[in-house]
Amino acid sequence: MPLALPDLQAAFAAHIVGDDRADLVASVVGDSIPAAARLRVYRHHVFHSLATALSTTFPTVQALVGDEFFRAMARAFVAGTLPTHPVLSEYGAGFASFVEGYAPAGGLPYLADMARLDWALNVAFHSPAAPRLGAADLAAVPAEQLPAKSVSLAPGAAVVRSVYPIDRIWAAAQPGASGETVELASGGARLLALRRADDAGFVTLSTGEAGFLEALAAGQSLEDAATAALSAEPAFDLSTTFSRLLASQIFAAMQ
Amino acid sequence: MKPVAGIGLRAPHLAEIAHDKPAAAFLEIHAENYLSASPTSQAVEKLRCDYIFSIHAVGLSLGAAEGVDEAHLARVAALTGRLQPAYVSDHLSWSVTGGRYLNDLLPLPYTEEALDAVVRNVDLLQERLGRQVAIENPSCYLGFAHSTMSEPEFLSELARRSGCGLLIDANNIHVTAHNLRLDPRAWLALPADAITQYHLAGHAVNDAGGEPILIDDHGSRVADAVWTLFGELVRRFGARPTLIEWDTDVPALAVLLDEAQRADAILSAASHAARAA
Repeated sequence: MPLALPDLQAAFAAHIVGDDRADLVASVVGDSIPAAARLRVYRHHVFHSLATALSTTFPTVQALVGDEFFRAMARAFVAGTLPTHPVLSEYGAGFASFVEGYAPAGGLPYLADMARLDWALNVAFHSPAAPRLGAADLAAVPAEQLPAKSVSLAPGAAVVRSVYPIDRIWAAAQPGASGETVELASGGARLLALRRADDAGFVTLSTGEAGFLEALAAGQSLEDAATAALSAEPAFDLSTTFSRLLASQIFAAMQ
Repeated sequence: MKPVAGIGLRAPHLAEIAHDKPAAAFLEIHAENYLSASPTSQAVEKLRCDYIFSIHAVGLSLGAAEGVDEAHLARVAALTGRLQPAYVSDHLSWSVTGGRYLNDLLPLPYTEEALDAVVRNVDLLQERLGRQVAIENPSCYLGFAHSTMSEPEFLSELARRSGCGLLIDANNIHVTAHNLRLDPRAWLALPADAITQYHLAGHAVNDAGGEPILIDDHGSRVADAVWTLFGELVRRFGARPTLIEWDTDVPALAVLLDEAQRADAILSAASHAARAA
């Protein structure tokens, strides 16, 4: 009795990720190239193409560990986490968490945070360059109303924090970098990944700025976000920070 | 002469094409790479004034028993609305089961059950887009023992029942025929009226336990045997918009344009022969 189409497709997927299915193998025509070898062509392509997709989305992680190590790690991720949609640039949301628990990468404690930064840059890159809040928009709001206003971040903008200097590690891993040695214990980083006009990039934030933006992203008012920032960084100055962030085209709108 | 062959628009060539605007009958893009509002998508959309577009989807999974993903279909429809392409296509294959995508163009058994599923999915796609789409013959590395039709018979029935066009990839015929021990001339029995496009690409020769197996990797120039087969297809069915695809080890743009010119020569020779007859 041949497999019905839904069963055949389910068996095919199970076989591809490593669960050898005798019923599927029996339904494939084999000759001097046996059925199992024919199925291996598809298994190889699925893993290879998804590992390649991950290397495109996580280029800094790949640069840090090399292609061979990256592919082995990516294949282990793919086996447990197939895409749930066909757009490859949206595949890999869980990769950073996977890297964190991937024992062979244990000697690189910053690797998972670098995966978070790569992912944030990828998300920002694919986000719309929607209109941004400018100084003129701000000037239109009566000063006494400002503290109660909330401000939304640009689409795709996200704060990435690490106890490691991932901004300097990122720079050292870029193609053509000078090969600077980064001291791991030299302090953590707070970065804001964001869509720019023609690409995506990040700006470094002080502790107070990071707290301020995270509070705004959570929907808090400017006044409450500033209070949160001040408790993180006593020297935090709202007007200096706000002008700098406004100039960096970080805000989408004020409500 | 105005070119009739188009080329695949790949990211490494985007800036050069936007700057030089080389002659090409059309530019083909993979739908799934341009669904977001990335700077790359924006750059491609700017070329809409200079080029005719072909949207080639690789992720609609039209052979999936569980049907078409409505959310993905809506995004492809939105892209189609923005780019107003001359052609829209996807493959006779499946990629998704149980909501998990295998990122490959997987083979179908050629049975009435599979035909019903593909017709249902293609009907839905054509209804949502409000236009005819073309379905491409896949490159296959295996066949199923319970198939009751040949691939050309399956494609002919699909076109008859759904009204879809057929996109005939000469390289895929060559690869499938070699790997499944079939005669490539079997595809010459396809209905000429349904054929709306041709594809051409290179393939690799890999080893499967000591036996050569052809892999459709789109990573080299079109093979001589495929050019010969393409000539036979064109003489049999007539000239159609033709695409040169190159997706791995993407060469200089000039190489792609050179392959397109070679396709042009074959297509125009066939047109002259048809007019003379």
